[in-house]
Amino acid sequence: MTAVTRYLRSLMLVELFRGLSVTWRHMVAPKFTLNYPEEKTPKSNRFRGLHALRRYPNGEERCIACKLCEAVCPALAITIDSEQRDDGTRRTTRYDIDLFKCIYCGFCEESCPVDSIVETDFHEYHFENRGENIVSKQQLLALGDRFETSIAAARRQDAAYR
Amino acid sequence: MLNEYWPILLFLIIAAGMGAALVVIGSVLGPKRPDDEKLSAYECGFEAFEDARMKFDVRYYLVAILFIIFDLEIAFLFPWAVVLEQIGWTGFWAMMVFLGLLVVGFIYEWKKGALEW
Amino acid sequence: MDMQTLQTLLWTLAKIFIIIIPITLTVAYYTYAERKVIGYMQSRIGPNRVGPWGLLQPFADVFKLLFKEIILPANANKFLFYLAPVLTLGPALAAWAVVPFSDWLILADINASLLYVLALTSMGVYGIIVAGWASNSKYAFLGALRSAAQIISYEIAMGFALVCVLIAAGDISLKGIVEAQQGGVFDWFWLPLLPMFMVYFISGVAETNRAPFDVAEGESEIVAGFHVEYAGAAFAVFFLAEYANMILISALTALLFAGGWLSPFENVPVLGGTLLATHGIGWFLAKTVFFMFFFLWFRATFPRYRYDQIMRLGWKVLIPITIVWVVVAAVLVLTGAIVRGS
Repeated sequence: MTAVTRYLRSLMLVELFRGLSVTWRHMVAPKFTLNYPEEKTPKSNRFRGLHALRRYPNGEERCIACKLCEAVCPALAITIDSEQRDDGTRRTTRYDIDLFKCIYCGFCEESCPVDSIVETDFHEYHFENRGENIVSKQQLLALGDRFETSIAAARRQDAAYR
Repeated sequence: MLNEYWPILLFLIIAAGMGAALVVIGSVLGPKRPDDEKLSAYECGFEAFEDARMKFDVRYYLVAILFIIFDLEIAFLFPWAVVLEQIGWTGFWAMMVFLGLLVVGFIYEWKKGALEW
Repeated sequence: MDMQTLQTLLWTLAKIFIIIIPITLTVAYYTYAERKVIGYMQSRIGPNRVGPWGLLQPFADVFKLLFKEIILPANANKFLFYLAPVLTLGPALAAWAVVPFSDWLILADINASLLYVLALTSMGVYGIIVAGWASNSKYAFLGALRSAAQIISYEIAMGFALVCVLIAAGDISLKGIVEAQQGGVFDWFWLPLLPMFMVYFISGVAETNRAPFDVAEGESEIVAGFHVEYAGAAFAVFFLAEYANMILISALTALLFAGGWLSPFENVPVLGGTLLATHGIGWFLAKTVFFMFFFLWFRATFPRYRYDQIMRLGWKVLIPITIVWVVVAAVLVLTGAIVRGS
């Protein structure tokens, strides 16, 4: 391109119009913004959210205090104390997860031999007082009861791929 | 024709009054909690070095002077432009002499570097 | 004061408020439009939560600003500090007194309205300098000086472009300039004075300190420049003044180069008989909005100029071009290539 052409092009502000056309095309293009919380992105069945302790259909808690989850947890978020229960079974007396330490990796879920500790698809929660980040066994069992239908449904749908 | 300027005066007063009213309403509605840290001048997180009343570059003064010269030139061009048809080519060349003098001045200041920043 | 004067006074006051209140609303919604349009250009949507489609966002912003504390910096000049926003807003609004919205909708039909507008835009510099000086902050002071130097540099290019318009129009009142553009789209001054149209609009963008010429108030450069120490309602007034100036420049561009209230479909074969061909305030407002959109478009598209590049553009590029065009336009009019009043 000769010097004359370059001069004329800069006089005609050619590059400015090209820049303007770029932003124009962006402006008229359809947007992909989601109106959260009315619209949400689709979640996988394997989504790792808040934890829960599951029960068997007859109501017995699944956890047998094997402490595999405590051992595998990379952030050492799980604390377990266990004792023999009155009916002779092996059960936990203390099962705490510190949700601030937890990295939501799902290793505990993978390591559990009885499918007791799972991660639900629930992620829209918050804490309001100091200390609420440590969830106890009672709270985890309650969460398990609350989300059992969605936990079971997610695992049923995913079973074909495992 | 001078009568037409009264609305302008009124408009100026009301426009200034609106600005003042907004600031007054802001002073009334906003809290007043002066605090040493809040009142100190902003300097990107540091303590302000010296007083803000410092020396400033003479280039700003130069630009202002040059602006005055060219603005007066424009002020003279305004009536000339309006009556250009009536004064014809004679008026055109008279103004070209004036513009020519100012262009010579412009080239001089350009060459001298007054327009360098 | 007799009944007649009182009546005229009240009627004038009513007309002033009929102008000021829509302008204030326009300024408020211009800030909303800016956020929406720039958002869309950046592949996102702007504010959409406060009210349907985010339409109440400007009101939320105004209330927030009014309830904030106006911090008077230590050792600041109290009187000047409070005076500066008023000095900036006054000329920005007062220029609207002579803007003709249509051939009879003018508040003050003076015969030198363009001169008055030029005078008022020059007055706007005072508010900036006073704000920078009164803030007692180095950032504010330097920002004010740079901003003021930028404004007055582009004022000259703008003035010469206006001289070209006057040469083509033969009348110094805004109403007369619009009337000189009668005769269809290609008789409006944007075509015979195309370079001056571009120079005028670019100078207008530079005068209002808008991107890409916003180095004096770009957030990453000098924080907020001359109004860094202002908070709350005083900042709101600066904001209001800046956007009112932008709307004013858009309106002036529409009047001086785009035929003001004249319809583009005047002598067009099919649409010439329809409602679209009527002149009126609707066309003036449509053209002003069209140019207002360009301000937003420029902000989203172009990177910021460096300060020395801005001054170089103003003095070494635009002023020579405009001086040459004054001569060219005068020659064109005298030789009959542009016929006045056609």
